[in-house]
This record gives sequence, C-alpha cells and structure tokens, in this order.
Amino acid sequence: MAANQVPSKQVNESIVEFLTTEMVEAMIRTIKDDALKIGSERDPSFGNTTDGAGGPKDHSEGDEAMEAVYYKLEMIGFRVGERLIEKISKDRMRFTDNLDVVKFICKEVWMFLFKKQIDNLKTNHRGVYVLQDNNFRWFARMAHDQAPVESVKRVTPYLWFPCGILRGILSNLGIPSVVVAETSSLPACTFQIKIAKTT
Amino acid sequence: MANINISCIAIIGKQNNPLFIKNFNASHADLKYHYIAHTSCDVMEERAVMKTQDMYLGVLFSMEDLSVYGYMTNTKIKFITVLTVPDVIIKDLDMKNVFRRIHAAYVNHASNPFYEIDSQKMIKSKKFDQEIEAIGRGRPLEGGNRNSITTSSA
Repeated sequence: MAANQVPSKQVNESIVEFLTTEMVEAMIRTIKDDALKIGSERDPSFGNTTDGAGGPKDHSEGDEAMEAVYYKLEMIGFRVGERLIEKISKDRMRFTDNLDVVKFICKEVWMFLFKKQIDNLKTNHRGVYVLQDNNFRWFARMAHDQAPVESVKRVTPYLWFPCGILRGILSNLGIPSVVVAETSSLPACTFQIKIAKTT
Repeated sequence: MANINISCIAIIGKQNNPLFIKNFNASHADLKYHYIAHTSCDVMEERAVMKTQDMYLGVLFSMEDLSVYGYMTNTKIKFITVLTVPDVIIKDLDMKNVFRRIHAAYVNHASNPFYEIDSQKMIKSKKFDQEIEAIGRGRPLEGGNRNSITTSSA
C-alpha cells in the first residue's frame, strides 16, 4: 500500500479560504444586483428577518434573493461533493451501512476538507445525524462585534456550500438526504443530516 | 501485466446504464461484450452484498473462452474486464492493478467539470479513451497519468 502511494499534493490554504469566502460574497452580491435590476419592490438586503439561524427557510423567510443564493451555493457544493467523493473513496473499502458512511464523513472527509475531525456525532438511529464542529475551519477568520443574532445571519450563507458538499457526497454514495447547518456562536457549527428512510 | 490478455473493458453506471465499452479483441463482435456486461450486473450486485468489503469482486463467471472480472466502486460504478483465458494462471493482484488503473482513469474523468456525473450518457472523452486503451493494451500511458498508480511495485 505504502509503496504505491502518490505523494500528496499541496495547496496554499489562504487562497482556498479567500476563494470560498469570495464565492459566497460574489454570489450574494450578484444575485442582489439582479434583484435590484429587476426592480423588485421588496428590499433585498438580507438579514432583516426576525429569528436567527437555521436552514434557509428560517433565515430568509420571504427573501427570494437569499433563497436563490442558497440554491446556487448548495448546488455548487453538491457538484463538488459528487466529484470529491469519487476521489476520496477510491482506495477505501466498501461501506457497510449509512452509519459507516457518516463516520467516514466525520473522520476522513472532514480531515480532507478541514484538516480536523468532527468533534461530536449524535444520531437517533433513525436516519438523523448531528455533526458538531467546535472550531469550524472556514470560520477561523471571521469575527463580528455585532450582536450574536446579527453575526449568525451574516455567517449562515457560508454554511450552505459545505451543506451542498455533504449532500453531494451522500447522493453519489446512493443515499438521498437533506443537510441543514446552523451556528450559534461563531467558530462552532452543527450540520444535521437527515437520511430519507429506505425501504 | 504481460500475460493478461484483455478483450474488453466495460463501465456500467449506477442505474445499470452503460457508460463505456471498448473491445480490444476482434475475434468477438461488440454485441457479445454488451451482452456479457449486462449479464454480469446481477452477478456483481449479488457478490457485492455477500462478499467482502473489497471493491474487487474477482471472477464473475466464465463463458466459452472468456472469463469476466468485476469491480464495483463505493459510488456503485461497475467496471468489467473480460479476458481471453490464457494458459497461465492469472493472479488476483494483477487484476486488481488493472482495475485500480481503470478506477484512477474514471476518477480523473469524473473530475472533469464538463462531465455530468448523473447524466447517464455514454462517456465520450478522448483522454479517457486513451487511458483505457493504454490499460487494455497493457502498456503504461505516455506522459503519465495524473493520479496514476505505479503498476510495477505493489
């Protein structure tokens, strides 16, 4: 095994971080510009809804622009995840069950994406898995001096891309799922994976 | 590697849709390999459930002068290699190597943003074709494969 291991590729981390954050920013900006151009009477500035974190529904109730941002970012993530899993599951044994796949995500996929493992995994053994990361890497550079509620709103779009990645990975492994992420205090966040019951 | 005489390499997608098939041996018509590839789908699924967790599934069945080998990835893509039975025994290790090369070629192909993974269309890519061609003819790829696994030592 060790004999035919290819030397690992290295990549500048800052570039990757800038790219992911700018991707989110660009997506929000362009979609809002579009919304303004169309001349929708609704104020498309995001983060003016009442309650805090959660899926796109809670976050941007009635905000179509953010809905579009969510859809696009999630789709980008989905496509990335689909391809990514082909690559990282190449030299792995076959998965036995869904829990095995989720464990693989917690350990190896997280290691691959964020150079750390998930801190805590909870499951109800009925298809819901909660993955907790106490120090989410893509939040490492983010700090807010606004009220926590406000910063949660600002930060939620950044979780949509990794959500999509997880969904893409699961989908390509033949497991249809819904992935939602939320954060309450900044470097920590949780991902909730709901796997549709198979017959 | 030298004694493996590959007649055909076929790739079957998630929904048992054909993705790619290449015939290296003019002694049989393409149709025969299409037939073999589809017959092996069921065998592979059976094997994958009961057998080991290895992606390599071994000899699926033999047919006249051909023996069929299977390999299924985690993403349920099936690779099938048909060999013309030689005089010498074929080592599993050699076959695994062949499949690993096919897998590497497929992963490279799947990384292509212009390839729709779920599209169920046949793979049409010159580069992929060349890589499979090289594997089928049992020669290393010129210029090297981006993610290639060295086949010499294993």
